[in-house]
Amino acid sequence: MPFKRNVRWWLTGLAISCVLFWWLIQPLTLDSLNLADESVNLVNGEHMFYAGGCAACHASTSDGNQPLLLTGGQALKTRFGVFYAPNISTNPENGIGNWSTLEFINAMRYGVSPQGQHYYPSFPYTSYTRMSTRDLVDLKAYLDTLPADSSQSLQHDLKFPYNHRWLLGPWKRLLLDPSPVLELDREDAELERGRYLVEGPGHCGECHTPRNMFGAMDLNAWLSGGPSPEGKGRIPDITSGPDGLGDWSKADISYFLETGIDAEFDVVGGSMVEVQENISRLSEADRNAIATYLKSVNSKP
Amino acid sequence: MHKQSLILLTIAATLLSSLAIRADDPISERQDLMDGTRDALKAMVKMVRGEAEFDADTVTNSLNTMQNTAATAGDLFPPGSETGGDTEALPSIWSDREGFNQAMDHFAKAVDTALAANPQSVADLNPVLRGITKTCKGCHDDYRQEKDN
Repeated sequence: MPFKRNVRWWLTGLAISCVLFWWLIQPLTLDSLNLADESVNLVNGEHMFYAGGCAACHASTSDGNQPLLLTGGQALKTRFGVFYAPNISTNPENGIGNWSTLEFINAMRYGVSPQGQHYYPSFPYTSYTRMSTRDLVDLKAYLDTLPADSSQSLQHDLKFPYNHRWLLGPWKRLLLDPSPVLELDREDAELERGRYLVEGPGHCGECHTPRNMFGAMDLNAWLSGGPSPEGKGRIPDITSGPDGLGDWSKADISYFLETGIDAEFDVVGGSMVEVQENISRLSEADRNAIATYLKSVNSKP
Repeated sequence: MHKQSLILLTIAATLLSSLAIRADDPISERQDLMDGTRDALKAMVKMVRGEAEFDADTVTNSLNTMQNTAATAGDLFPPGSETGGDTEALPSIWSDREGFNQAMDHFAKAVDTALAANPQSVADLNPVLRGITKTCKGCHDDYRQEKDN
């Protein structure tokens, strides 16, 4: 009977769609990782902490003389709603004190919590996903040395439909990509290091690249600046183009990252102050590498 | 002359002089002041970066310029000068005047420290200049809108 056959087809289609949907919203993580021979380097971990600018969102103390307390609570107001940075101190209940290194890596690389929940990309795992296992292991070890705080993390306050986390499943499948943004035109260790720092831990693109309709970085306009994600003001173009750092030498960029004094002898302001002060704690070689990479980034076509 | 007209004249004169003060433009005045401060910074940064010969007199002059900025800038943000021109001043200057004054005070102290150190070489200048730059950021961080370019 044609009617019954139609129903059967329809039901099969529905079943396939359900399975596909279920598959799409599943978080992708690593189930295991051989970390046995990964010895820990706390100095590198601290470097990664500053390269990643973790404190900018997660620290509740801004006074450099006090111990770093990663209580979270800082609000990021965006067009999707307000995101609150969570407690990532070593408190076992309200922080990340009882996370395994593997759970930490799954959060940083895949944006998935130990409970298998998707994180919103306000936590820039879209960049951290490019970080090496070595650096993530060290970073976790460094975080483990910081004090615990029992404050509870605040719930995000998001608009519909963004308050539905499962939407991030398909979103990540489309837009979470650990491969480098730029192909390098030459083999050069410094350039490669700069690319790693800028595209990975430094997550420079998260602010300096405009976002597309899905709220993801528009990689065709990589680092060409755009409206501030927080709605006020503009984030500057830092490509090597004429609207960007075209007039800056590598030494200018490196000196700016070290001191906050720019090529026009103006002094850095706004949210870049904290970023610059974090980067000033890296080695000079790393700042030079960042400068070398930025000078190789072409302006938007 | 009648006593009354004298009073009237005084009032008129007072009004006129207050108008004259109004006609002064605190926005462009403070912008000129900051431009001068930047030039002072430039002179010293060039020495630190090895792009200019170290010169103790230039350093002292530059630091004096900064000392003048620290002493006068605070008065160039009177009520009514919140907007206009191409000011990059943030409303927080007026809503958090205490914090703003404190930030300006940090700057004044850092400049005084540098002057007292009386730098005679790049090695002397470098640390005190860093101290000053830190206080510039302390104010640009919360009280200046980043440029729209």
